[in-house]
Amino acid sequence: MSVLEYRRPEQVAEAIALVSADPGAAYLAGGTTQLDLLLKDGVVEYGTLVDIGRLPLRGTSVVDGVLRVGAVTTMEELAADAVVIERLPMVREALLSGASTQLRNMATIGGNLLQRTRCRYFRDRAVAACNKRAPGSGCAAVRGPARMHAILGAGENCIALHASDLCVALVALDAVVGIEGPDGQRSVPLTEFYVMPGERPDVENVLAHGEMITHVDVPLPAAGLRAQYVKVRDRASYEFALVSAAAALRIEEGAITEARLALGGVGTVPWRAWAAEDLLRGRQADEANFRAAAEVALRDPYTVPGTEFKVGLAQRLIVRTLKYVSGAQT
Amino acid sequence: MTAPSPNKIVGEPVDRIDGQLKVTGGAHYPSDVGYPDMAHAVLVQSTIASGTIRAIDTADALAAPGVFAVITHENVPELVHEVMTPFGPSPRFPLKDNRIVHHGQHVAVVVAETLEEARAASRLVRVEYDETAAILDIDDPRAQVTTNPYEMDVERGDVEKALASADIVYDERFHTAPVTNNPLGPFAAVARWDDGRLLIHSSTQWPVMERHVLAGIFSLDESAVQVLVPYLGGGFGAGLRTWPHTVLTALAARILDRPVKLVVPRPQMFTSVGHRPETVQHLRIGATSDGRLVAIDHEGTSTTGAEESNLEPITVVTREAYDCPNLATHDRLVALNIPNPGAMRAPGHAEGSFALESAMDELSHRLGIDPLELRLRNFAEVNPQTRLPWSSNALRECYRVGAERFGWHHRNAEPGSLRDGEWLIGHGMAAVSYSWWATPCRATLSLGRDGGARLRAAATDIGTGTYTIAAQIVAELLGLEVDQVHVEIGDSALPLAPPSGGSGLAVAFGGAIEDAAAHLVRAFLDLVRDDDRSPLRGRDPDEVIATNGRLQLSDDPGVGESYTAILERHGKDELSAEGETDPTPKAEGMTMSPAGAFAAQFAEVRVHEELGLLKVTRLVAAVDAGRVLNEKTARSQVAGGMVMAIGMTQFEETAFDPATGRITNATFGDYLIPVSADIPDLDVVFVGEPDRYNPMGIKGIGEVGITCAPAAIANAVYHATGKRIRSLPITIEELL
Repeated sequence: MSVLEYRRPEQVAEAIALVSADPGAAYLAGGTTQLDLLLKDGVVEYGTLVDIGRLPLRGTSVVDGVLRVGAVTTMEELAADAVVIERLPMVREALLSGASTQLRNMATIGGNLLQRTRCRYFRDRAVAACNKRAPGSGCAAVRGPARMHAILGAGENCIALHASDLCVALVALDAVVGIEGPDGQRSVPLTEFYVMPGERPDVENVLAHGEMITHVDVPLPAAGLRAQYVKVRDRASYEFALVSAAAALRIEEGAITEARLALGGVGTVPWRAWAAEDLLRGRQADEANFRAAAEVALRDPYTVPGTEFKVGLAQRLIVRTLKYVSGAQT
Repeated sequence: MTAPSPNKIVGEPVDRIDGQLKVTGGAHYPSDVGYPDMAHAVLVQSTIASGTIRAIDTADALAAPGVFAVITHENVPELVHEVMTPFGPSPRFPLKDNRIVHHGQHVAVVVAETLEEARAASRLVRVEYDETAAILDIDDPRAQVTTNPYEMDVERGDVEKALASADIVYDERFHTAPVTNNPLGPFAAVARWDDGRLLIHSSTQWPVMERHVLAGIFSLDESAVQVLVPYLGGGFGAGLRTWPHTVLTALAARILDRPVKLVVPRPQMFTSVGHRPETVQHLRIGATSDGRLVAIDHEGTSTTGAEESNLEPITVVTREAYDCPNLATHDRLVALNIPNPGAMRAPGHAEGSFALESAMDELSHRLGIDPLELRLRNFAEVNPQTRLPWSSNALRECYRVGAERFGWHHRNAEPGSLRDGEWLIGHGMAAVSYSWWATPCRATLSLGRDGGARLRAAATDIGTGTYTIAAQIVAELLGLEVDQVHVEIGDSALPLAPPSGGSGLAVAFGGAIEDAAAHLVRAFLDLVRDDDRSPLRGRDPDEVIATNGRLQLSDDPGVGESYTAILERHGKDELSAEGETDPTPKAEGMTMSPAGAFAAQFAEVRVHEELGLLKVTRLVAAVDAGRVLNEKTARSQVAGGMVMAIGMTQFEETAFDPATGRITNATFGDYLIPVSADIPDLDVVFVGEPDRYNPMGIKGIGEVGITCAPAAIANAVYHATGKRIRSLPITIEELL
């Protein structure tokens, strides 16, 4: 029986020292998935788990037009934050469309960013071929009943989805991740935080061993940006997205002067649709342009039987969401 | 029999008498049971679907902390492997040899001092396999097919001739996905042996059957086995078999000579305790242009496990549904390398009625006749198979009342004609009969000097309200308050009773209670037959009524005395009486066709025209349940079936990996059941009269709620969108 050591330090430096010094140690972060993977599914193994729940990283503040969110702020706390309610309604929508109230009361913002994929090929030790779990072993999901899997940033090596709702809204708004580790502090834009699977699906983000997320900075948009998060899922709550869209438009005299679009439920990472934004900027906010943007956003998908429908569904959702945001009538 | 009861307790919406125990944690489910020196067992399951075990290495597991034993096919003691039950042979014993017939087959059970130690050690059991090609597809030509597997196929008239001369012939195929019962309470067994006797706390819906199977497997007299299940966290049919994990728990306890507990974790529930199998169906219907059915041919194929049997009569629902002179039904069973299916709420009927009632809707649109009117034109006045009059049938009233409450006749019948912004709105309906099935039942009823009654039988309450309805029946028949009745069930040592299954327990148990109550009243009157001090001296049962804790003359209420007074005067602590009933229809000499519940359901859906989102916004069920025993628990039963139907229609699918036979969504995070937000207000209304066939007038309702809702919803989807979906579940991609 593997013996697991559990530590719960009070200070960030202490936590970093504990994990940095021990290659078999990990932060207990992304708890709802970390504990599943460790205790229930037996997919990952650690010698020591360092619980960061007591670190002084909870709460929000606004400095210079940026909302700083401590990594152990819970999802429900952030959804109830006055600044979020007033200035970042799309973030609130994304938060409240994720998981269940019970989970959101426990789950943290840092944990949400670091949640592991739900792919049941990754999560079941009975499956031998999983490049994410056992690099080089292949991917069994590409030949299985994949449906809750990625079509963007995916390939034959891995189609595991990043299932967060929150991150979709955050990448659209250019959130920045605050990181601290044995070598000090650094900041990485969320759009550059995740690593697409490529040849190494086991590498999911830029964090080095011993580094942790301390906070997330969300720039507060200037007035006039209209934004919305829309999620399509099989059941009405407590379910991951088949497809979701975070869209924001600033429209001046009928023309789009600022466009932000990100997609969930389709990407191996929270997906920023840069090309669609480029296409929209400077154009009229009308259905033809929204369709063109949707077309561009889903260019070159990697589909397998079971995920093909997501291409069309994502395009329909993009058009629908841009219509909502632009105030266009159906 | 006593005169008609003056007490009005049966039918009232009495709160569950076990409700307080349940919400305060006082109701002990099998998984709650513990003993001081109890060991814990964890199952190790195969990671291939077909082949043999070349080697199984248990050394590391045995060396792990706390481990007492690892049982595999190599060291398993000799047992009897197959015991016959009314549902066919007991499930294949997985450790009988080194062969693997499905992914997730038990290959070892690890027993340790703590659950954590057992679970950790279970990951150290190393199995090497010689894999062979698995047969996993229902259409695989290599699969073994059994035709007429239940010997329930029927033919009447000349179907082919009638189809050839019909004005219109409908010919379509249907598919339903495999789904899994998923009772919230994980199945558990806690076994202990004392002097060669086995006591087992077990998640079963049928303690008497479980006793029979375990006695057979362990070569014991049935009196040496006791099965306890006072409470069960749901079953939906999963508890109608004695599954291998139960046998292995009893075996481990015998080997270790100490109590052993095994709780099946959720992912293993998908492979260990059955599921509703996948089906494909082919329906051909011939009709005249004015909507008279002239022929129905219904073929239904379902899957079963290799070397397993399963009772999944898909087409049986069709033979008695409509007045149609020419009919043929055929069932087929295809054996695959999948876990053994089993009964799941309305087995066969839920799938069969989806096809039949979707077809009726489709036919009505092709004929240009209102779907409800088409059904009325083909209403079966008598049982169309036996030509016997129904013991009761208020299906017409179900149609009428359901349509009224729903507002059916106000709709625009044109598909795609209703809309609210981006949402298309549709209305659909379907109807069904669900007959009950039960075996003989006995009960013992006693009345003590404290004035309270005690009812005992080996029945079960799987969450449906058996405790409560039994107490209500006793209270009404003996003239007591409900809280004066103590109900003891869930113990195989009590008088024989049928399962909570087949919608039959209430019919059988109610009959046995009624018989026992009559005998008990007679016993009191016998006691005072020559008693000079009793005002009831020399009276016969038909002269008295029971009310307010006493027996009194029905035509002179002042003349009578209490049960307590009689017992005290005669120095007795209590009087007891036995009751029994055999509700099984006889093969010959029947003058009526025992009817099951009838129901019509009406659904309203909204479909997002661009995104394919489907939302059921209204569901109305009008049910002829005969005499309703408790309006509250009856409503809950039907409403629960409707919720399950929404799951089956929109969300649920047990997804098998086509290459390996592994279930890829065996968790509640991945296998979707409805959440509250998916469920609209459910309108359940009861119509009809007490049934004539059984003395209490009861018709079982455990399953009728799930049977026609899937078709009603699919028909509403057609009305909303013009898309006919003949495959369940109806997911977003089908509506884009």
